[in-house]
Amino acid sequence: MKNIVFLLVLFFLSNCVLAQLERKPAEENRKVDLIFHAPRHINLLTVEPLEKKSLHFAIMHTFGTLDGGIQNLFGLDNGANIQFSFEYGVSDRFSLGMSRSSLDKVYDLYGRYHLFQQTYNNSIPFSVSLMGGAGINSVDYSYVTEPEVSFSDRLSYAAQVMLARKFNDKISVQLSPMLAYFSNPLSVFRIEENENLYLALGMSAKYKITGKSSLTFQYIPNLNNDLKNNLGLGIDVEAGGHVFQMYFVTSQALNEQYLLAGVNGTPGEQFRVGFNVNRIFAVGKR
Amino acid sequence: MRKLFIIFYIIYLGNTQHAFSQAYQTTSGHVEFLSNAALNEFKGKSDQLNGLIDLDKNLVDFYIDLNTLQTGIGLRDRHMRENYLETTEFPYAEFTGKVVDMDEALKEQFKNGKEVMVDGEFKIHGVSQDMKIKGTLKQSTDGEVLELSAQFKVLLGDHGIAIPKIMFYELSEEQTITVKANLKSP
Repeated sequence: MKNIVFLLVLFFLSNCVLAQLERKPAEENRKVDLIFHAPRHINLLTVEPLEKKSLHFAIMHTFGTLDGGIQNLFGLDNGANIQFSFEYGVSDRFSLGMSRSSLDKVYDLYGRYHLFQQTYNNSIPFSVSLMGGAGINSVDYSYVTEPEVSFSDRLSYAAQVMLARKFNDKISVQLSPMLAYFSNPLSVFRIEENENLYLALGMSAKYKITGKSSLTFQYIPNLNNDLKNNLGLGIDVEAGGHVFQMYFVTSQALNEQYLLAGVNGTPGEQFRVGFNVNRIFAVGKR
Repeated sequence: MRKLFIIFYIIYLGNTQHAFSQAYQTTSGHVEFLSNAALNEFKGKSDQLNGLIDLDKNLVDFYIDLNTLQTGIGLRDRHMRENYLETTEFPYAEFTGKVVDMDEALKEQFKNGKEVMVDGEFKIHGVSQDMKIKGTLKQSTDGEVLELSAQFKVLLGDHGIAIPKIMFYELSEEQTITVKANLKSP
């Protein structure tokens, strides 16, 4: 009897081979797609990687405060802080970027490295990326004579660790412990404090509302000083290869050092309109 | 007794192997789509098309894990997977069908390469559509390899993939799919 069952099973198995192909996924540990919509999220960088040989262009603006009302078109008349950045994927894990922010005319050079990327089967439950950068203030300080502003006075640095997880189709959260260091925080710089070192915990969150848009949130509490905290709320919209990010934010700063050191007298007191455009290009053949 | 069964089974397998000689398979077929919109033309490719063509049973069966498609821009791939194809829910594009008017006379012509019509069902994004696809089958002289090439068009709207109005310039409603595969007899 046992033998007959054995035989039947064998016959059955060998017949199965002729039916339709069994549908099997090509990769078991597939990386999670789109923890965030773009490598930028309001003002902070994200764990969203760039593929090798792709170029990410972002142009970011923050305008004046909203309190002038329609007279100042809700701050748009008051001039914008504009930062544009180009970031290039050297490998699938490492990218190098350059940005220029109009606030104190700072040029930044930075890198992002992706240590781990979250997978759908949770074999890696979250993504971890590192970022480090250095900036130089290029304002003409020739009117400052005693003492003159030297090259090294103008340097500032930023570093952060980004930990992010996509909890489900709708909700993603990132925590970014950050630091900024000004080699000589002179009073002519448009920062709020005169400390060298600033520590903060960046928090970013996304809540997907439709297939191609999400509500966004950012909060950057300062950890070692009395500066007011940066708060941002907005919406991300994907449209034709661009990601548009519109938001209300409390600080005019756009690069990491200035986000942490505070700007424009009363950081955190008034909301302003902000607007980013992200676009990624493929560079060369692969 | 058991030994006897196993011997019978091996003989049986030998027979099925004979039948298998008309079944061709691949796991590395090439598939490509072309989106030709007013402002933007782009291609996506994968070399992981899985296919089976069984000439005896007249079965044509293909599927691809859509997560293997690459357009050359990583972020665009991720947007495509998450917002259009929704691959976590619908990971595969599949086609199952039959060669129209399949008979011994038609099979003989495959050696020289023969254009055939395959009638079946194409499924992507969880929505199936009946489809007739024209393609070419060419059998190698030793009968070991069956070469397939085919091209067909898919309307995204037919499969419940909506394109927002603002995207019509960048993403075409009509996608041209090209398939090339060398299927081998196991």
